[in-house]
Amino acid sequence: MATTEVEQHVKVETEGGVGWIQLNRPEKMNAIGAVTRRQLGDAIKQVERDESVRVVVLTGSGRAFCSGADVTEMAQSGDGGMRTPEDVGNVLRNEYMPMLTRLRTMPKPVIAAMNGPAVGIGASYALACDIRIATPEAYILEAFVNIGLAPDGGVSWLLPRLVGTGIAYEMFFSGKPLQAADAHRLGVINRLVPADRLEAEVRELASQLSTQPRQAMAAAKRAVNHALESSYEEALEFESYLQEAQAASPEFAAGVQAFLAKRANKIK
Amino acid sequence: MIAAVAYEHILVEIQAPIATVTLNRPKVLNALSPDLIREVNEVLGELDADDTVRAVVLTGGPKVFAAGADIADMADRTAVEQLRRDQTGRWAGIAAFGKPLIAAVNGYALGGGCELALMCDLIIGGDTARLGQPEINLGIIPGAGGTQRWPRTVGKYAAMEAMLTGAPVTARRAYQLGLVNKVVPAEMTVEIAKRTARQLAEKPPLALRMAKEAVLKAFESPLSEGLAVERKSFYFLFSTEDQKEGMHAFLEKRKGVFKGR
Repeated sequence: MATTEVEQHVKVETEGGVGWIQLNRPEKMNAIGAVTRRQLGDAIKQVERDESVRVVVLTGSGRAFCSGADVTEMAQSGDGGMRTPEDVGNVLRNEYMPMLTRLRTMPKPVIAAMNGPAVGIGASYALACDIRIATPEAYILEAFVNIGLAPDGGVSWLLPRLVGTGIAYEMFFSGKPLQAADAHRLGVINRLVPADRLEAEVRELASQLSTQPRQAMAAAKRAVNHALESSYEEALEFESYLQEAQAASPEFAAGVQAFLAKRANKIK
Repeated sequence: MIAAVAYEHILVEIQAPIATVTLNRPKVLNALSPDLIREVNEVLGELDADDTVRAVVLTGGPKVFAAGADIADMADRTAVEQLRRDQTGRWAGIAAFGKPLIAAVNGYALGGGCELALMCDLIIGGDTARLGQPEINLGIIPGAGGTQRWPRTVGKYAAMEAMLTGAPVTARRAYQLGLVNKVVPAEMTVEIAKRTARQLAEKPPLALRMAKEAVLKAFESPLSEGLAVERKSFYFLFSTEDQKEGMHAFLEKRKGVFKGR
């Protein structure tokens, strides 16, 4: 039977300047099917546009962060199924591409709270976020090769930049997971925290970031994204212009005031 | 100063030695109506004659450069009407402007908007810039130079792709194609274009004019003819005060001050 839109595969909650997007198919390990894709796309757009949201968190429910594309659905014919190889490509280009790009470029921090494994396109989501916090049970698995597919969802670009080509290739070729502890050691995961502490830890970071100057954080993200496609000289120049814009902002004026006031307090 | 001249569709700001012309129809994303083009033409004519102005910035402001022509105005016109109005032929004055003309492009520069940018001498692109020729999707083709200036700038295949698919290119892609000179944060685009204009305004105006003419000649003539124009301009400039000033300043290790004579 075709799934209906009434099903809520993705939950969005906004609280204290933080927009939480939770994949909500625990019984399917948060696998992404056609309905999930649509809802996730809408959720990402919603938190990007919502001015009250200063920081975004992407997480799973249950044991997994996201087990990847819903392969059983892919194999079905009919609604939501991908009948032809071209369907597979079209879904990547028309649906995944815009939302993954949006995560990487929206002018606010995006944190992946990895409550469990991130597999296939699920790993692509985790890696497209700006910061990753994970439990020891989490892992990153580029499972594509195990079913005869090539990496997708941007990991051929993201993973070599995060871990270098050697480890990226090993993951793409072997289809074996990168465990949370190893991912943490390699710097792919920012912090490892016990499962019962994950939400509190993410909440604490998100709420700290939500009080940081938002335009300055957006500028940092813009600078990094520009730099990743530039020469050193181009990056330096782009930074210098961004800095001019930032130096003219009320955020900088307020920041300097606060800095001077604090120093004045210390001197007393 | 021509600050007193009032225009309906553009804003003109003169801060000698530069001027900034801003397309100003924000409600229609600066759609290029015949009236707007007439005003741009007029003001450029005046700025060309104004000796206090040595370089000009052309921009659509912080959000959009110009998202094409006025489609509502064109949809039901006949070929003969279009020919008689010769909408696009009236752009010639813009391309013929004799002083450095710098486009500051944020957001969409589509159709006529893109062609207008391509008539400028330098293009500073904000990181939000999107340049393209979507005319094909309306059953027409670019009519103000797009099919000619794109291939002369980016080569046949990138130009064909733009003309045939109608898909715009990002600022980054435009930079790779050589379609914009640099990509800067969008909030800085106009300011950086103005600074560039001020830098050019310190250069000898006659030499600027002849350099511009010679480069544009490269797009229109065989090499031998272009070389002849270049050579004559080169010799001619030895009859100017600015050449004497420039070379003596160089020998005396000081900065030249140029008068356009």
